Amino acid sequence: MFGKTVSYGLLWDFAVSEAVSEDQRWILSTMHKHGQALITVLWRILGNEQDVCDAYQDTFLQLAHYEGGQRPEHVKAYIFRTANNVAISMLRRRMAERKRMSKAIFTGKQVTTPAKELDSKYLQESLRCYIAQLPEHLRNVITLRDLAELSYAQIGRILGISAATARVYRCKALQILTVWMGKEEEK
Amino acid sequence: MTGINKNNKCRRIRGWLSDAISRHFGLDASWLQKHITNCPRCQRRLLSYGKVNLAISAIKSQPHKLDLLMCANAQAIGVLKHSLRRAQKAKKLRTIRPEPKLRERFGKYASSTANIAACIAIMLLMKFGVFSSMDTFQTQGQKVIKQYYASRAGDDLADEIFPTDTNSLSNLI
Repeated sequence: MFGKTVSYGLLWDFAVSEAVSEDQRWILSTMHKHGQALITVLWRILGNEQDVCDAYQDTFLQLAHYEGGQRPEHVKAYIFRTANNVAISMLRRRMAERKRMSKAIFTGKQVTTPAKELDSKYLQESLRCYIAQLPEHLRNVITLRDLAELSYAQIGRILGISAATARVYRCKALQILTVWMGKEEEK
Repeated sequence: MTGINKNNKCRRIRGWLSDAISRHFGLDASWLQKHITNCPRCQRRLLSYGKVNLAISAIKSQPHKLDLLMCANAQAIGVLKHSLRRAQKAKKLRTIRPEPKLRERFGKYASSTANIAACIAIMLLMKFGVFSSMDTFQTQGQKVIKQYYASRAGDDLADEIFPTDTNSLSNLI
């Protein structure tokens, strides 16, 4: 009797797990379809492989738990926005940690030599820091346009704005980044 | 005017406008270059703008490891539900490697494809289009000149100069 109960239980578990699996199989399809693009954008935002893996995991975990396992209406938009937010949070955390560790890096007390200015890694890190400080609407556009290399129409669809607005936001973001990069040079 | 024509015209005009604007207000515009050479503030701005562009290009040009997608997939699948982890697709995702896009893969054939398409288009034109029209045009012109000669110098001479079929032309030669 007990053996039968156990076997029925196992059968039931198996059936339920299969049902769930069928229900959420779209997550794996999404991973297959957009994974590569997502990795590219995360790599460009974070520039660190372990951070990329963590941000990617967080993104899909959030997707799997979206409204109790429901599929969002626009999956691509959801994962790109989530990945962007997760990556920027990680970047900010990293910046804060670095600032705490060595106050000299971003307080403006460091000496910027021409050789350092031309150093690719230094430039990349500076830009990443400034992108993380941009207002959200501008930051989203600049990361999707310049780092994910999506078209303005696609960006518009992802962010729920028009392509023209996305174009204006990118222009504004570039202006701000230019001013910030210029100020850094003056320090 | 139909909606499609209106849209096409609008698109064309927008293209012209953007060309004209970039010609007159782009970074290569001569008046702007002249100004920049004399304005230290603009020089600084331009330098900073160049730095932003350089940094974006540097970020984009950094490649990541080939197995990054594989590692990220494996890590992400590891926290999903047990049923999903065991799915066949999950196994495939754990070993997947980045592949170039279809456009990138076939990009190298673009120029040769364009050449072949151009050749086919010329052949079609020769068969049905421009060249047959030119042939008709030539025949019509010949007819008119033959009529002119016939009215001025007589039918015999006109027939001699403009034979009606190819056989008579070869006889004449």
